[in-house]
Amino acid sequence: MNDQIFVEKSKTEFEPTIIAFLCNWCSYTGADLAGTSRMKYEPHVRVIRVMCSGRVEPAFVLKAFAEGADGVLICGCHPGDCHYHSGNYKTLRRYHLLTKYLEQMGIQKDRFQLSWVSASEGRLFADVVNTMTHVLRKLGPSPIRENIRNLA
Amino acid sequence: MNNDKKIGVYVCHCGTNISHTVAVDEVVAHAKTLPDVEVAREYKYMCSEPGQELIKKDISEQGLNRVVVASCSPLMHEGTFRKTCESAGLNRFLFQMANIREHCSWVHNDKADATKKAKHLVGAAVGRVGFHKPMELREAPVRPETLVVGAGIAGIEAALRIADSGKTVYLVEKEPSIGGHMAQFDKTFPTLDCAACILTPKMGMVAQHPNIKLFSYSEVEAVSGYVGNFKVKVRRKARYVNEKKCTGCGECTSVCPVQTRSQFEENLSFRKAIYRSFPQAVPNTFLIDKKGRAPCRAACPAGVHTQGYIALIADKKYTEAAELLRKDMPLPSVCGRVCYHPCEDKCERANLDDSIAICALKRFVADWALNQKIEVKPLPVIKKEKVAVVGSGPAGLACANELIRRGYCVDVFEAAEKAGGMLRYGIPAYRLPEEVLDKELAYLQNIGIGIHTNQKVASVESLKSKGYSAVFLSLGAQGGMQLKISGDTSRGVIDALEFLRSVKSGSLKQCKGTVVIIGGGNSAMDAARTALRLGAKEVKVIYRRSRAEMPAHDLEIEEAVKEGVTFEYLAAPTKIVSKDGQVRSLICQRMKLGEPDASGRRKPIAIEGTEFETPAEMMVTAIGQVPLLEKMAPSLKMTPSGWIETDPITLETTEQGVFAGGDVVTGPSTVVDAFAAGKRAAESIDRYLAGSDMRLGRDQLPSVAGAPDISKTPLAKRAEPARLDDATSKASFAEVISTLTEAQAITEAKRCLACGVCSECLECLMKCEAAAIDHNQLDEIVEVNVGTVVIATGFESFNARKMARYGYGKLKNVLTALEFERLSHASGPTGGEILTVDGKTPQSVAIIHCVGSRDENHQLSCSRVCCMYSLKFAHLVKEKTGAEVYNLYIDMRTPGKGYEEFYRRLLSEDVHFIRGKCSEITDLAETPKEKGKLFVHCEDTLLGVKRRIPVDMVILATALKASSTAPEIAKQFSLSCVQDGFFLEKHPKLAPVEVATDGIYLAGACQGPKDIPDSVAQGAAAAACALSLMDRGKVIIEPITSHIDAKLCSGCQVCVQSCPYEAIVYRAEENRSEVIEELCKGCGTCVAGCPSGAANQNHFERNQIYAELEGVLKRHTAKIGVKQSSGFGSDQKGKQTQPTYQDQAL
Repeated sequence: MNDQIFVEKSKTEFEPTIIAFLCNWCSYTGADLAGTSRMKYEPHVRVIRVMCSGRVEPAFVLKAFAEGADGVLICGCHPGDCHYHSGNYKTLRRYHLLTKYLEQMGIQKDRFQLSWVSASEGRLFADVVNTMTHVLRKLGPSPIRENIRNLA
Repeated sequence: MNNDKKIGVYVCHCGTNISHTVAVDEVVAHAKTLPDVEVAREYKYMCSEPGQELIKKDISEQGLNRVVVASCSPLMHEGTFRKTCESAGLNRFLFQMANIREHCSWVHNDKADATKKAKHLVGAAVGRVGFHKPMELREAPVRPETLVVGAGIAGIEAALRIADSGKTVYLVEKEPSIGGHMAQFDKTFPTLDCAACILTPKMGMVAQHPNIKLFSYSEVEAVSGYVGNFKVKVRRKARYVNEKKCTGCGECTSVCPVQTRSQFEENLSFRKAIYRSFPQAVPNTFLIDKKGRAPCRAACPAGVHTQGYIALIADKKYTEAAELLRKDMPLPSVCGRVCYHPCEDKCERANLDDSIAICALKRFVADWALNQKIEVKPLPVIKKEKVAVVGSGPAGLACANELIRRGYCVDVFEAAEKAGGMLRYGIPAYRLPEEVLDKELAYLQNIGIGIHTNQKVASVESLKSKGYSAVFLSLGAQGGMQLKISGDTSRGVIDALEFLRSVKSGSLKQCKGTVVIIGGGNSAMDAARTALRLGAKEVKVIYRRSRAEMPAHDLEIEEAVKEGVTFEYLAAPTKIVSKDGQVRSLICQRMKLGEPDASGRRKPIAIEGTEFETPAEMMVTAIGQVPLLEKMAPSLKMTPSGWIETDPITLETTEQGVFAGGDVVTGPSTVVDAFAAGKRAAESIDRYLAGSDMRLGRDQLPSVAGAPDISKTPLAKRAEPARLDDATSKASFAEVISTLTEAQAITEAKRCLACGVCSECLECLMKCEAAAIDHNQLDEIVEVNVGTVVIATGFESFNARKMARYGYGKLKNVLTALEFERLSHASGPTGGEILTVDGKTPQSVAIIHCVGSRDENHQLSCSRVCCMYSLKFAHLVKEKTGAEVYNLYIDMRTPGKGYEEFYRRLLSEDVHFIRGKCSEITDLAETPKEKGKLFVHCEDTLLGVKRRIPVDMVILATALKASSTAPEIAKQFSLSCVQDGFFLEKHPKLAPVEVATDGIYLAGACQGPKDIPDSVAQGAAAAACALSLMDRGKVIIEPITSHIDAKLCSGCQVCVQSCPYEAIVYRAEENRSEVIEELCKGCGTCVAGCPSGAANQNHFERNQIYAELEGVLKRHTAKIGVKQSSGFGSDQKGKQTQPTYQDQAL
């Protein structure tokens, strides 16, 4: 399904930039697997590696939006599979809290996503990126970007 | 520091892997424009020797102090380039990698997009590396011990290799014996040598190796620590046989009455509950298969070994069965007649057809024993204390029976003329003939219990003065409750207990006219049926609630109805009308049901104006019982309603050394409850006299066995004992229900599903000369510290039931591969003969390849070994039976040394090879001649024809799937699994035995389907990896730990709670938290949680991540005054910079 989304895009469309924080053990390896398996996905995602999704400070997300990202994605190990036992549970809690905060700031909920991607789920990573790109394309550029442009 | 940064950027082509999609030259040109970049170059293979030399040369010649390599994933080559930097004198952490292959060139098609992304990634790396700090690696010692999980051929190989080098190996195997699947195999391909011949010597070496500590029948419980020092908890499951004492003689199996299917034989044959998997098992120790207490035994208040005596009856061991029963209860024949058998309500067989007739079986074997003319010798008295029991009802006798078996001298005192309490006077003869009770009492006297009748005990003091150290009061509830309505003193009004007692003693021989019974309990039913037998014209039971609330047992009510007793529900007497002092009739009132009362039953409420009269020549009240008690000791406390007060667990009364139980404590209850109380009191008295803890371990409930597998159990009818017809039964006091016949009993006993597997009949305990058996053994937790771990947990066979169209489990003679291995094995169920279920040699056999593998509905991957073992099967069938063999394959895969040659050999052995997947297997014969055959349907894709092949046997070449324990093991050791559940290796080609976590290695089929040579090779490879780490003796740990800035810390302790390793301590005196570096694993969760920004993580510092973010999001076309900043919040210098934003690339 998501391959279709990928195929359908046209060159003239708005291309959203996604910042993806991936944990080293599951999700980064999963993204590597998508690469070694030559699974094609949308090119406007930029990956930042952290050891655990639990390392992702709320400020990282805010910084990403402030710097002009149209969406932020956090990927970690599946619940129960965390390399550090429970880091991903902390991520999950912070994610829900931060989503509320972002909405209050005018950043739509869909711009900030959390996904569990294991080291064997290369296909899933590609799908997550494609789907999010598709969603963001519809949403248009981040309102923060516009504001910053106006400030400058 | 920022001012003298000199960064070198190196972009790799990776052959054409990167340059095919990314314009490397553009990326290099872009890099040159980035701030602080001194040099930017491209090269075909950066990871090659010349590539690395390029970097080294620039570091020394150009004075680079930061390096960025844009190539593959850091998980692949970060270590390589860090070493390169280090060898050129640059700290290894002043390096950053940009992943432009896995995350860029391989996943995108559009060259412009990919090139733009590569530029961004390089920009981010350049930005980040500027903030890198030099750091030193940490070292940790590596313990010279290894844990090997799984003792199949791969685990055995790894364990032996490591042990041979002098290191200690803890080998954990979940099965009772090591050997894994290979121990089940008959022959091995392609050489056809016997699996046992090559495996058992290795198993023996494991058993004898001084450096291997084998934990068989054990599982890993928990893992903590890290590479070099793992702490592992191993659960050694109870074998119930002491490994050190067991000599492996096997005598115990000869007496075990329980038959259960052997898992090692793939359920094709039976073994005993005490068993070893196979004769060459290592360790060669037996074990007892206990699934927990059987539900029937768990339901029995007296905890009788129900499954045990049933198993012994099935084995015709009546003496042993009766003895087992008598240990548990004093009067099994009585109990077999009057018990309401809560055991049968919990019988698992009821889920299949009907519950086992447990009570009838008890009666059968107890009666059998009573009728044997064997001289019974008194049991030896070994304790010096004497115990007195007051009252000879079921509770008192149970207590006496238990105590005498524990070696006490016991005397029972009974006020009545004969012993037995309620059993004698309260239960009518048609349910319990007195001679049965007399025989059982005689037996109890013969084993040494002193029963003294006509001896009313006045006080506890009088017993103590006679030298009794403890007293058990089981006085029962002998008094009937009064109705208390007008006219209740009339002649013909009698209470049920008095009525039954008079009938038993012979003083009441006849009833005339209508007898009305008031009440709905068991005594009411007994009185009603007795009155009928005494000649009453009509017997009517009046009960104030409805049938649903009646406390009498359903069986009793049904019997009463059958015999003609009538019932008047929702009515209660208000007045007794008499003439000349003799009852003539009753005035009753209709009732309705209100809200539930304290007993949970709905309360009856009288309806005004509904009075009616019913004639009665006699009225029997059965509305409850009360104790007839005189105070037997000054400090004995009673409840307000007159019962004796006791501790519910120990049954101690308020008087020292005096215990009480049975009806006198609980009010009227069942016989088996009374037995339970007596046994409980005996346990307390034993503890009291021994001076041990009265409560220790007594309120724990035993674990109950789950539902047994009934999928292969045929239906069978429950045995019903013979009974008198209703007309005969109500005419006399002859016993209504008979004892089962011997044939009935054996058939019935064999219906038992043996839920607990071991029935705890304790026959093995008595047989074992080495005294190795301990039925009370508990699981043991052992903790070991190891430096490295080898995981070799193997595979599981695909469940062929999932492919219903092949009929496995439904059609006879459809076998799985492992079942065929056992069938063909010389020590298997048929001794190596290949036979159908009917015991015939098959004339034709089909072997279906790829069952569950290469199938989108099940497992996409090829299991690698099935083609080869199918060829082996074909050869064995041909060799042993000469049958026609059809191999149905999709593709023939024989890649291995000597494998193709084996295939060619089979081609010349007249085996039919059909290229085509089997579509269906049926047993639908089209002609009478075909009857009993199986039909394999397929398309021969080489000939292009459909085929229907009649055969006698089908072997399914089942796929190898990941072990069902894999997810649990993965969790414990932080491993990842691939889609189909096998463990993920660090690199599919270059690190096939390593995993992402250092110090843990994979061996054998747990990593993916493998044949024996590959498993052995991987076992040895894993051993080599573990040994190289342990021989080095130390491990390098990345210093990516967290740290807390003492000046910024507010002491809120959010970090302390977020750390999964307890690596953060709170220093109360300074009101701040501190990271213990040795314990920190570097996840950074605490850093993200720190609200004051005091926590930070080495190499994943806030400003480094910010720089990376700015790098990918900001535009870097030129060095136009965009100063490297980490503007947001916590700049190193605390200075905030306005984010610069140039929207051109986006």
